[in-house]
Amino acid sequence: MQRSRIFGPVGAVWFLLTLAAIVYATRLGLLLAPTEATMGNVARILYYHVPHSMLSLVFPYINFAASLFYLYWRRRDPLKALTADAVAIAGAEVTVVYGSICLLTGMLWGRVAWGIWWTWDARLTSMLLLWLLYVSYMMLRKLSATGQTHTLAAVLSVFAAIDVPIVYMSIRWWRTQHPAPVFGGGDESGLDASMWPAFAWNIVAWALWGVLLLGMRYALERRRQEREQEAALQAIEASLEMAQ
Amino acid sequence: MNFSWMFGSSMEARHLLYAYVAVWAIQGGYAGWVLYQWLRAGRQSRTVSHTDNH
Repeated sequence: MQRSRIFGPVGAVWFLLTLAAIVYATRLGLLLAPTEATMGNVARILYYHVPHSMLSLVFPYINFAASLFYLYWRRRDPLKALTADAVAIAGAEVTVVYGSICLLTGMLWGRVAWGIWWTWDARLTSMLLLWLLYVSYMMLRKLSATGQTHTLAAVLSVFAAIDVPIVYMSIRWWRTQHPAPVFGGGDESGLDASMWPAFAWNIVAWALWGVLLLGMRYALERRRQEREQEAALQAIEASLEMAQ
Repeated sequence: MNFSWMFGSSMEARHLLYAYVAVWAIQGGYAGWVLYQWLRAGRQSRTVSHTDNH
């Protein structure tokens, strides 16, 4: 049976709360947080750039875990494997969305702060590589016509996930143009207390939004799978009728 | 509260505005695309079922 809505009452409440949180977080970041002493107002990009960057390193693991479950279940329990596959594509697409925003806002900020749009330092390059890997994952799923597409995509996802810790550690392992880590970067790292509310609200709001997107994309994939199953069943029925 | 600086012509002001607008555009665009695909998949599914009943 087809579900008529992309999300139920819980999803609708989630959507409204998330929208309110995003508006509030944006107001904090853009209007109420103090102006950064060195860079001025352009540093307010931080409130969108850093949460999206952090979350773009979290969503790949949803794709990774779902891909592992898919590989495990694909012969043992095909129905569970389809569910895992729907979670995997949702995780990959949301990773690309958040990764795109990370790269784009970083470039806009870098042009003002460094005077250049891009530099091939370890953080930026590894992040671009991560983005390209998940774009490749989506292209593979979209364009490959073999019967093994989902399995190949799941294997690619396992390799793509290896880049995530490299992106995270890049500013610790190598000297980069990108600033040193704000969190866990030693005694001199960290945010000023007055910047925390805007930063924390943006993390929470964009995480809630990301989960909502995951849910919506998962529901879409499940609907597509149901449609494919219906079409396959009808094809079988039609061929049986012709044979009689 | 003075926030006219947000709409100034300096590179700093422009890039800040572009960044915030781009985030809303990308996030909203993706959510809209998923919703559109969901509705489209539903219509196609109903068409298949409808055809099957006849």
